[in-house]
Amino acid sequence: MYLKLENIRKEFDGKVAVDNLSLDIPKGIIFGIIGPNGAGKTTTIRMIMNIIAPDAGKIYFDGREVGDDFKNHVGYLPEERGLYKKLTLSEVMIYMAELKGAPASQTRGRIDSWLNKMDLLEYKDRKVEDLSKGMQQKLQFITTILHDPDIIILDELFSGLDPINMELIKNVLLDLKRAGKTILFSTHVMEQAEKLCDNICMISFGKKVIDGTMSSVKAQFGKNTVQIDIEGDGAFIKDLPGVKEMTEFNNYIELHLAEGAEPSEILKTVIGRVKVNRFEVMEPSLYKIFIDMAKVDPTESQRDDGGDNV
Amino acid sequence: MSKFMVILKREYIQVVKKKSFIIGIFLTPVLMAAFMLLPAWLAQKKATSSEMMAVLDNSGTGMGERFAEALETYKLEDSDEAYYVVKNIFNVEPGDSVKFKALDDSLKTEINDKKLKYFLVIKPQPHLSDDSVYVVTNSDNFTTLKRFEYRLSNLISAVKLEQTDINLPVDSVLKLTRRIDLQTRNSKGEAIPFMVKYFGGFIFVMLMFGMIVTYGSLVMRSVIEEKNSRIMEVLVSSVSPFQLMLGKIIGLGAATFTQVAIWVLVGVGIFFISGSASLDISSDITRLVFNPMIVVFFVLFMIVGYLLYSTIFALIGSIVNNEKEAQSFIFPITMSLILPVMVGMHIIQEPNSTLSLALSYIPFFAPTTMMMRIIFLAPTVTEYSLFSGILGESILSFIILVISTMIIIWLTAKIFRIGILMYGKRPTLPEIVRWIKY
Repeated sequence: MYLKLENIRKEFDGKVAVDNLSLDIPKGIIFGIIGPNGAGKTTTIRMIMNIIAPDAGKIYFDGREVGDDFKNHVGYLPEERGLYKKLTLSEVMIYMAELKGAPASQTRGRIDSWLNKMDLLEYKDRKVEDLSKGMQQKLQFITTILHDPDIIILDELFSGLDPINMELIKNVLLDLKRAGKTILFSTHVMEQAEKLCDNICMISFGKKVIDGTMSSVKAQFGKNTVQIDIEGDGAFIKDLPGVKEMTEFNNYIELHLAEGAEPSEILKTVIGRVKVNRFEVMEPSLYKIFIDMAKVDPTESQRDDGGDNV
Repeated sequence: MSKFMVILKREYIQVVKKKSFIIGIFLTPVLMAAFMLLPAWLAQKKATSSEMMAVLDNSGTGMGERFAEALETYKLEDSDEAYYVVKNIFNVEPGDSVKFKALDDSLKTEINDKKLKYFLVIKPQPHLSDDSVYVVTNSDNFTTLKRFEYRLSNLISAVKLEQTDINLPVDSVLKLTRRIDLQTRNSKGEAIPFMVKYFGGFIFVMLMFGMIVTYGSLVMRSVIEEKNSRIMEVLVSSVSPFQLMLGKIIGLGAATFTQVAIWVLVGVGIFFISGSASLDISSDITRLVFNPMIVVFFVLFMIVGYLLYSTIFALIGSIVNNEKEAQSFIFPITMSLILPVMVGMHIIQEPNSTLSLALSYIPFFAPTTMMMRIIFLAPTVTEYSLFSGILGESILSFIILVISTMIIIWLTAKIFRIGILMYGKRPTLPEIVRWIKY
């Protein structure tokens, strides 16, 4: 494994922030850590970054325990972001890359192409404080990857980004992946994670509740979700045999079926009562999994045998 | 280039290229010189215009007239005109209090209207009590008062003499008396005037204090800025907190020494160009400034004192959220530096007292205390010993300072790495103690 977390644990003043967490992150993939606020994502990432030390457990990068030399191999975008406001864009970029061990001469040649890619080239010699907030976010992203790191770690990547910049950065990340870089990010924006990740891990109350490739995670939750789009009152559907749960959205109804229930049986019954425009059997959305899993009471999951795998 | 050097370089350049740094290089010595020299220059200012005065003599001895006569010896610069012009001498019989009161009031009005600068009042029996001769004025000119004192003392002696049966002319009696200004010489036989040592000590201590507080608080501000703008987390993902802290302290320290070095070079340059004999006090100052012990220990105490205090400033920067919160911490720091200056008179007068020695061995007070003691004691040393006397004490004080500074740096590094990532609530003391153990 490229990056490996082995039973790491962190307590803050008696409160467990991360509990016996193990992760395997292979090289060259996009790995998403999802979880509700306060689940322990940032603490986990800070431990990988060696900013805080775990109380127990070990973290390995490329077969060696992470230490100060890891810092040059990683590009890190923390949740709390900021840049030197009084410096010019190129000064900030050179300094940040120098702190990552990349000499100024080497960085200077890369600045223009990155600024161009992010539509910031005309601001090159302006001060950071002259930029809008969105532009500062993009600049911050450039400083994260400017020194050509092997692994890129992004905490709450999408917070504060508008859809256009989000798209821009997503494309850069996909380019980086194609270039063989490993990307690890945390988010609670499920739609983005769903589109971007190869592998995913969900943390809740400091514990891992889901871990695997995107498709395996979804398969794990089975094809037990049905979306129907009907005309008329669909309230009766809730009480049909085999329907475990019904969620009404504005334009459609989502059903979660009991184990062994046959979707076609339900379709037959519904078709007899109301007009059906659409009936689709689908994988559960990450969003749904997220909501379900976040509800899991950690004390309960502890009782059923550690509960770190669902 | 190591990361430590990258940080050091940035912190250094950031300060050195600022306009305030360049202005400070020129302005500080100018202000300091002005501060030191202006009063002296004003006091020595040559008299170019006469001062109006009057005498109200209520003694009936004719002393007022004789006083006015005596003042005629004081002339304006480069002219024959009198410095003190006595406009009126009012002789009032002793006991005529109505007339005395009226004149006294009208003269006071003239003082207020600035028509007169002084008027001298001589009450009956002037030779019996100090209260019976006084000057009314709104400006206490040191030189003038000295002159009046001298002349009046002579006149009172004369009055006293007339009332005895000693049959001698006044002048011959006065010739027999002489006042002395007592000079001091140290055990080496040198006479460095007290004022030179006093101001010498003052300059060294203020320079040290000013540099430590100015640049130490820059370390703090730099940390607070990076904390506030949330750059900190990116920084510590690139460098270790210790590299960051030390890079800042030493980078800004290098800027401090650049400033001092420029002053020293310019000062030495001026000294040699102007020629050492051009100022009469220069030989005394030379002996202070070029005393190797003073110079060496000034540099040593300044470097380690700066390290100690800037580390504490870095510590404060790491645990507060903004400069406002930091204010309450800065006061005790500046107090601990300035305390030796406040008890400075004692240290200067009793450089070997228990208090002076105790302050020398408390690291926070050591730099400023030792500077004052060394300036007063080093020129008197005839035999240097590494284990006793001022040299031995300086070495011991310095060793204590170095060890304490190392301990403080070690403790601060532990608090710093946690503190810089803590936002919001200011940590309590027990929390900070817990950080040390993390």
